Amino acid sequence: MKKRLFIAILLLTMLLPACSGKKTETNADAGSAKGDGAGTGAGTTVTAWAWDPNFNIRALELAEEAYKGEIAVNLEIVENAQSDIVQRLNTALSSGTPKGLPNIVLIEDYRAQSFLKSYPDAFYPLTGHIDADDFANYKIEATSHDGEVYGLPFDTGVTGLYVRVDYLEAAGLTVGDMTNVTWQEYIAIGKQVKEATGKQMLSLNPNDFNFVRMMVQSAGQWYFEEDGSTPNLEHNEALKEIFRVYKAMLDADIVKLNSDWSQFVAAFNSGDVATVPTGNWITPSVKAEASQAGQWRVVSLPRLQTEGGLNVSNLGGSSWYVLNQDGKEAAAAFLADTFGSNVDFYNTLLADVGAIGTYKPGIAGDAFDQSDDFFGGQKIYSDFTSWMADIPAVNYGIHTYAIDDILKVEMQKYLKGEDLDTVMASAQAQAEMQLR
Amino acid sequence: MKGSIGRINEWFHRNGIFLKAFGVTFSSVVLVAVLITVSTLRLSIDYFMETFTITNERIVNQSKERFEYYSNVVLDTIYSTENNVRIKRAIIEEQASSVLHASAFYDVVNELEQIHARLQPESADLVLMGENGALYNMNYAYWPVSSGYLQGLDFTKQLSLNPGMIQYASIGPDEAGGERVIVAGKAFKERSSERIYAYIYIVIRESDIRRFYEGYTSEENIMLLMNRNGEILSSNRTDWIGDEDAAAAAIFGGEAGTSGNVPAATVKGQPYQLLYEYIPVLDIYLVNLVDRMSIASQLVNMQELVLIVAWIVLIATILSWLTTRHITLPLTRLVQQIDTLTRHHFKKPLKEEGGYESVQIARAFNNTLEELNQYIQVVVASQKKQKEAELQALQHQINPHFLYNTLTTVKFMVDKGDADKAIETIHALTGLLQNTLGDISETVTVEKELSYTRDYVLINQARYGDRIQVNYFIDEQCRNCLVPKLFLQPMIENAFFHGFNRKKAGYIQIMVYRTQQQLICEVADDGDGMDMEKGWTQHAQEGRKGLLKGIGIRNVQERIALMYGDGYGVAFDSAPGRGTKVKVTLPLLEAEPKQFQPEKT
Repeated sequence: MKKRLFIAILLLTMLLPACSGKKTETNADAGSAKGDGAGTGAGTTVTAWAWDPNFNIRALELAEEAYKGEIAVNLEIVENAQSDIVQRLNTALSSGTPKGLPNIVLIEDYRAQSFLKSYPDAFYPLTGHIDADDFANYKIEATSHDGEVYGLPFDTGVTGLYVRVDYLEAAGLTVGDMTNVTWQEYIAIGKQVKEATGKQMLSLNPNDFNFVRMMVQSAGQWYFEEDGSTPNLEHNEALKEIFRVYKAMLDADIVKLNSDWSQFVAAFNSGDVATVPTGNWITPSVKAEASQAGQWRVVSLPRLQTEGGLNVSNLGGSSWYVLNQDGKEAAAAFLADTFGSNVDFYNTLLADVGAIGTYKPGIAGDAFDQSDDFFGGQKIYSDFTSWMADIPAVNYGIHTYAIDDILKVEMQKYLKGEDLDTVMASAQAQAEMQLR
Repeated sequence: MKGSIGRINEWFHRNGIFLKAFGVTFSSVVLVAVLITVSTLRLSIDYFMETFTITNERIVNQSKERFEYYSNVVLDTIYSTENNVRIKRAIIEEQASSVLHASAFYDVVNELEQIHARLQPESADLVLMGENGALYNMNYAYWPVSSGYLQGLDFTKQLSLNPGMIQYASIGPDEAGGERVIVAGKAFKERSSERIYAYIYIVIRESDIRRFYEGYTSEENIMLLMNRNGEILSSNRTDWIGDEDAAAAAIFGGEAGTSGNVPAATVKGQPYQLLYEYIPVLDIYLVNLVDRMSIASQLVNMQELVLIVAWIVLIATILSWLTTRHITLPLTRLVQQIDTLTRHHFKKPLKEEGGYESVQIARAFNNTLEELNQYIQVVVASQKKQKEAELQALQHQINPHFLYNTLTTVKFMVDKGDADKAIETIHALTGLLQNTLGDISETVTVEKELSYTRDYVLINQARYGDRIQVNYFIDEQCRNCLVPKLFLQPMIENAFFHGFNRKKAGYIQIMVYRTQQQLICEVADDGDGMDMEKGWTQHAQEGRKGLLKGIGIRNVQERIALMYGDGYGVAFDSAPGRGTKVKVTLPLLEAEPKQFQPEKT
């Protein structure tokens, strides 16, 4: 029995190298398939990470079709959840090895500064590849660090106020009455509409501070000083005004509260709210309810009654970054040739994906001048692009979401009756502690 | 065609030894190669499968633990949520104002976020739906659902029928509106009123639950999650997900809390080794399928193995062919040479070649042959010498009666005064004696032989008168041919003394002529003749009246046979009353010019 076993083992040891040899081969294959810039096939392989197959991934696919650059590029698009991308970037960059990372990565503007500041050498400056003046000012602010432009701005989060004409008319109002108003005026209109129709004015999620960020930028302010790292909460008049407006809206009982995205969308699709103040990216969701065609219009966002308060703002949006590793030239050339200079491509992007870019020559095309029957023939894209030019540039800083979490708690305290200055001071103290 | 078959047959016959030796070696090599290959293959595969099974049992157990860990997290999450007073209150209590409402929403999400923190590493989503339709989805991207969708879900109805019980379901990609998900759910009810106030859903995507076991799997080593009905909820074979295989589920026998190993199970119409483990909390079976055949084929590179064995067999065959051929070829050649030896009259020695053994055999054979030949030569030489001595002795034995009779005849001639005749007779006698006694060579020319014969005839005629006439018919071309000495004399003598006993007169014709290769001498008489049936030998014995004692026709016959071999000799043709004809056939041998010279006396 022992002998037989011995023979079997002998045979195995003879055969195993052949097997393991095969295995390593396939591993190597898998490794190169993931691609770290090593060229396979005709052109240089450029890997790109993005998260939304209907939006930014689709945009990459269109860009690949539109690409006509000199360097042959073999684009490989990998879909990853946004949280996964952030986590993977942090893990890989903090360990100092860009291995396994893509050549191009999409980063939300709110998070960009955090990456650029933490890993200054990890990204490849695009200053020489694009003309920063061609892009919306606020975008360049968000994607730059130490005088270099690192991100190629992609979509804009330019905001607007989507309004239901029928509800306004029921309250004896017109779209004109909603144009260029302040939030106080907005609340007053809200009361009127509710009285007339029984409908709430807007839907808010107490756990989502989109609304607050949108308003704070409209006043040219942010959670931080201009350096992007000193919290600016306690003496931030815009922020205080936002808190007041927030409370006033709740007190006026014109808010339909929601607890998640589905409910937020359901609120306007079901006709429960009269307005939606948010980024232009909500347009497809609004238009998804075809029965409401013709009832919607888009007007400029209400403004804060503070110094520098404007009727324009931005919410969200992201930009393309090139990692500083093999294949960066090809990746940069690819981006510069498509998102960075191709005017026709931006028309396609709008027509196909509904994305409004931030490349100024690109957003002046015919596609942007078309009227939309869903919005009663309004040229909404041309309106959005005209507002975009005025979006105040702010430094989003490094910890936007951390401050969000602090403010959510303080907001609850304020809503429950605590003094505004007290909660703001508390928020300031927490933020300073956390960011120290 | 027939010829070639014959040749092939002959080749086979001649190379019998080689073919047998080679055949035995070749078939042994093939047999050993095949048997060893097959047995080691089977052995190694069995051994591998044994260890593989043990490993897989561990893997299944580990995966099971992983699932149990996950289900514990799920249970924990559900109970934490259910027992969280703030969440319960926020859902149940009517909110008087928007501010309170907002605060309630905030509280629920805040609490849920903390609870969800434990679920997050599992990539699972927590969804809580309140009775009022308020929906808290902690990770909308994972499971983008609306409260309307959840309320319409069969699973929700199932939960409402059994509140207080955690239930699991797999929602296919069509219904889930994206990827297949596995949902754990529970309906929360108020203890006092039995009213359901919320539903909780812990959702994990199939691709995430697959990660629990996917690392252990391969194409041949399949893992799948199967419910009691045989529906495949998750598998690394993604094309199987959602399929139902009731036959496979029947293997589990509906027994809960069991595990097992079925060496030969059929799943999806394919034979597999099946290991299964029941995961009680989830009420599903974790099934491991091993495709023995393809694992074995991966383990053993059949092609390479066959190639190696083929090479070994080929090399062994070539080597055994060469060595066997090396050993047997000289033997075969020896046999062949021995076969043809008779054709060469045992004169040609065997070639000494090949291996040591065959060289020794050939050498021994050659030595024997050589000695034999030497011996034969000695025998032949001594025999010749003996015959020569015999002849010499015979030549010297001149019959005294002959001498006496001849001399008496001469005396009478002298007496009668016939001096010329006497001198002639004396001349003939001296010439005859000189030739008979003096010349000891074995052969003489026809010319010389004829001169004795004439002398002898003359003497006989002198003695007995001329009643018997002798005529010579000699081909002139034959005069220089060599013949055995004194071969004619006995025949003439025979004719004289036996041919004319009743008939007193007659003729004796002596003819010498040649054919292509032969010299023919005929001595014919027209005397009494004889009965051939009695045999010529009775007449051929030496008579008292003869010249030489002992030299008779028998002696001539023996000498010719000894000198020239078979095919030459003396032939008689006789019948009573018709005379006798003796025909001597000899080889045509010309005397060399030297011998033309007069011989010494």
